[in-house]
Amino acid sequence: MSILPTSRRARSATGAGGAGGPAPMRLAPREGEVIDRKRSVEFRWNGTPYTGHPGDTIVSALAAAGERVFSRSYKYHRPRGVLTASYLDPGAMVQVGDEPNVRAAHRLVAAGMDVRSQNTWPSLRYDVKAVNGLVERFLATGFYYKTFIKPEPLWPLYEKVLRTFVHAGEIPPDSAPGCYDQRYAHPDVVVAGGGPAGMAAAVAAARAGATVMLVEEEHQLGGHLRFGGPAERARLRELAAAVAAQPGIEVLTDAVVEARYDDNWIPIVARSLPGIDERLIKARAGTLVVAPGLVERPYVFAGNDLPGVMLSTAARRLINLYAVRPGHRAVVLTANPEGDAAVADLESAGVEVAAVVDARRGETVTAAHGRHGVRAVELGDGRRVEADLLVTAVGWTAPTSLLNQSGDQPVYDPRAARFRPDPARMPDDVLAAGGIAGDGDLDQLVAHADAVGREAARRAGAAGGAGAGSAVAVPSLAVDEHPELFSAGTGGFVDLSEDVSAKDITTAVAEGYDSVELAKRYTTATMGPTQGKLETVNTVAILAAATGRSIAETGTTTWRPMYAPITLGALAGRPHQPVRYSPMQPWHERHGAVPLVAGQWIRPEHYGDPAAEVTAVRTGVGIIDVTPIGKLDLQGPDVAKLLELLYVNKWQKLGIGRVRYGVMCAEDGVVLDDGVTGRLGEQHYLMSTTSSGAATVWEWVENWLQTAHPDWRVHVTPVTTAYASINIAGPRSRDLLARLTTDVDLSAEAFGYMNVRTGTVAGIADCVLWRIGFTGELSYEIHVPASYGLHVWQRLLDAGADLGVRPFGVEAQRVLRLEKGHAIVGQDTDGLTQAFSAGVDELIKLDKPDFLGKPELVWQHQRGTHPRLVGLQPLDGSIVPPEASQILDRAGGIAGRVTSSRMSPTLGRAIGLAQLDPELAVVGTHVTVRLPDGSDVTAEVTERVHVDPQGERQRV
Amino acid sequence: MSEETVPLARSPIATDPTVVVAGWEVCARVSTAPLTLSDETPLAKVLVRAPFGGAARDALGVSFGRTARVGLGTAGEVLLVGSAPGEWLALGAPGTAAAIRAALEERLAGTGEFVSVLDLTHGRALVRLHGAAAPVVLAGVCGIDLADHVTPDGTALRTSVAAVVTDLVRDDDGGVRSYLLHCERSSGQYLVDALRDAGSPSGLEVTGFRGLVPSSA
Repeated sequence: MSILPTSRRARSATGAGGAGGPAPMRLAPREGEVIDRKRSVEFRWNGTPYTGHPGDTIVSALAAAGERVFSRSYKYHRPRGVLTASYLDPGAMVQVGDEPNVRAAHRLVAAGMDVRSQNTWPSLRYDVKAVNGLVERFLATGFYYKTFIKPEPLWPLYEKVLRTFVHAGEIPPDSAPGCYDQRYAHPDVVVAGGGPAGMAAAVAAARAGATVMLVEEEHQLGGHLRFGGPAERARLRELAAAVAAQPGIEVLTDAVVEARYDDNWIPIVARSLPGIDERLIKARAGTLVVAPGLVERPYVFAGNDLPGVMLSTAARRLINLYAVRPGHRAVVLTANPEGDAAVADLESAGVEVAAVVDARRGETVTAAHGRHGVRAVELGDGRRVEADLLVTAVGWTAPTSLLNQSGDQPVYDPRAARFRPDPARMPDDVLAAGGIAGDGDLDQLVAHADAVGREAARRAGAAGGAGAGSAVAVPSLAVDEHPELFSAGTGGFVDLSEDVSAKDITTAVAEGYDSVELAKRYTTATMGPTQGKLETVNTVAILAAATGRSIAETGTTTWRPMYAPITLGALAGRPHQPVRYSPMQPWHERHGAVPLVAGQWIRPEHYGDPAAEVTAVRTGVGIIDVTPIGKLDLQGPDVAKLLELLYVNKWQKLGIGRVRYGVMCAEDGVVLDDGVTGRLGEQHYLMSTTSSGAATVWEWVENWLQTAHPDWRVHVTPVTTAYASINIAGPRSRDLLARLTTDVDLSAEAFGYMNVRTGTVAGIADCVLWRIGFTGELSYEIHVPASYGLHVWQRLLDAGADLGVRPFGVEAQRVLRLEKGHAIVGQDTDGLTQAFSAGVDELIKLDKPDFLGKPELVWQHQRGTHPRLVGLQPLDGSIVPPEASQILDRAGGIAGRVTSSRMSPTLGRAIGLAQLDPELAVVGTHVTVRLPDGSDVTAEVTERVHVDPQGERQRV
Repeated sequence: MSEETVPLARSPIATDPTVVVAGWEVCARVSTAPLTLSDETPLAKVLVRAPFGGAARDALGVSFGRTARVGLGTAGEVLLVGSAPGEWLALGAPGTAAAIRAALEERLAGTGEFVSVLDLTHGRALVRLHGAAAPVVLAGVCGIDLADHVTPDGTALRTSVAAVVTDLVRDDDGGVRSYLLHCERSSGQYLVDALRDAGSPSGLEVTGFRGLVPSSA
């Protein structure tokens, strides 16, 4: 150990370097730096202007300006500075504009950025919530569960107060929506990690003919070579040139392989893309090569979270990538060559290295002292060294997350002082390369990765099919010995993201949470944004020490997807919400239709005055676009048998040209759908379904045909949108249609109610004309080849101008059908409504040999206790009880509900339909309807048909 | 009042500016971009249903998942697509649906199998995505591996494209990647919007009706 006198301390950087001012910690140009000194970018940090260079991260730019504190900690609001100077840095979570939780040690600084510290008040330097630290003994692990459990009524108050302590940024309500994208990819090989091993593996796989996706978390490829010495940088240039020479490699930087699922289904989040905030790539890879390198592990000791305590890799990144001097006077705790290299880098950067504490010789550090940053370091031999920087290099963690997700169970290797993957438990389509697989010099690691890449390509079948050719001999990697250094035993923080201390772990054990999974959940260690990559091994080691078990016996927590936190925007991606349009939609839009979203369909709800539209239909003629009605073309000799199976009524005797209404039920007798089916020819039928039920019915029919009756010769083809469907309704509808139809006799005698014909309308052949009605008026429904739908629609309006024809929308149709007492499946029925409760008693033919739902309907009929669908009219006709209003029995219990209700323009009063218990479902009974505001109204039970109960209007 | 006296067939896809081709109002744009999207809805579309494997399949000469150009006499040449198990789609020149249907019924009459033939010209939307970058566009909206060794020219499959059930048919034109996408008519505009959105970064442009690529192309 060598300690230098404090008189050699370098010039102190005092004050922040604002815009235009000098950057007191910026070094002279260094070979390998990634900043562009020719240009500058201005940004703001907590309201103060700062200057950086393109290539700087937010943290490196601020550090160059002399800033050391970037955040306050999660629980105790302790000041935090640089720890890793990488994506994982727990001390550098900031708010950028309206984006919270930005990793400032990774996010590149950009002109105009407004960067702020999170959850600090009134300022980052003087954060009043740091008072938490004074009551630390009361905020020990589990305090949350112990403190706020009682009294229970106070929980809302607790919650309100606790929310103010949530350590996260803010998303202003007026934030602009981000642009998130998704795409699919099918590379032969995905390489997770763009360090030397990942690059070598990618090149080898590409040379073997594979398509490769090379994914790197940092903004450039190279891993630790980027901040290494001249030899490392030379090797990096060589590898980068090799990657660039392979067109089969797609390089994704600032991207993360988030998970590995079965069959190498691999989500990758990519950032820094033009015009896109984030893109989620859903890759299906032949082979996954896991090459994330090793993550340097912090050391646990008193004061280990003070700004100025950082990892050796952090110091080297700051110096060599960003030309930032990390401090003025340093103590270095080193246990490996990388720590030794940090010493050299610090000295080259002009940092006074006050002491080198070599753990390989048994030397150690026990504490760091200071308030807003390190001021002194206490060594194992009791000496105290003044310093503002403590660099530690005590070991490595293998981030085996992707391997764990592949089924691997890493094993602790005490020689290497880290968990290592077990190759025997890795599936064939996953390989490991680089430091995660073992140690060695650069040549050995690259040679290993080269072989892994070639084998990955072979296993992916890139050259002649999966597994073709002989397996590549992959050289084994040695494992270097490394001292086991986890904790000095003097306290300190284990998890800097979650403010979990070493004492919290031992307390958890004392309270019985002595398994790693329990201790994790009780203390929240490893559950922060770094997801265990920095703290898992230290947690396990302290837990092992507290329980008397070995680290291997203690094991690790489970590393699940995602590898790194992922935004909801990335998961949601580009929204794909299909919408469907009728051929007449352009006309509707031009004529002021109010759109109604009905499932995927966009339909006209009305054209401004639905009541007038109702009246037009009742007194003259109206047309409505009913294209969304489901339509199934049925062909074959066994269609009648199919209809007998599907519907509750009989179909064998349906003649050509005739139409029948049917209700179909599921096996439990619950109404599934309804509609009319017409017979167009000897073996040709056209079935209609509800608009929302079209897809369900098609699947239902195909399911029965394919599974229960594959011998039946029936072809079912959905033709919903093959036809534009128009309902022409009203007493003048025949007159209107007759003006455009030449080859169909529309007279009542020739074309009666519930008949179907094919013919020509407005010059369009092959139309299907139905004489049916949902409105209770004389009406025709015409199905027109869809490409001519708009033509026919316009011709109807033109031809009927003198008849007063007007379009009507879905709302008017709903009123018209309610006046007529027609039920709507899904509105007047629900998921429990069996057919005898749907008002179709006369339709159900229990004497049929069989039909779907028959056994249940037999029982329902025998029980007789089922609700009935009835008509309802409030005694005060001006009150329209909202749909779903409850109907009460005489004892005040619920006896039913209003399923449909409207003000009837025809009757000038409120009408409705209701599901009602049988004892009240007697015409003339007065019932109590409870309105949503709690008041009651009296209504009378009526027949379902409110207008024209004899059907005289529609049978003319 | 409408001035339209001669019936015009209209695609579900917006076509402004328009020109009339074979009684169809189609897009009049002409793009020379390397990546284009064209509305091919006017093509005749005739559906054949028959047993998955048997005499009808042999008579049609196309298996499930593949395509072939087949001459149908006076109906002309059609692109016959094995679009689903026991399901074929014949695509032909605009206005030939009736002739195609008749020709197919005649061809299949002797098989003795239960067969039905249905004109779906007006029930489906059909677009063509053409250009070397077409797989890049589709990768944004479709999860299928479009590599040559997985889905070579002449492949037909049914999949989800931007959450719409779509028949995806690879039908290269002059050695250039080209895909026909075929869906329910009512979803056609949405599908086109989704493709244009996904294709915007690749320079996708809309062009007018191209028609069926002849076998000599």
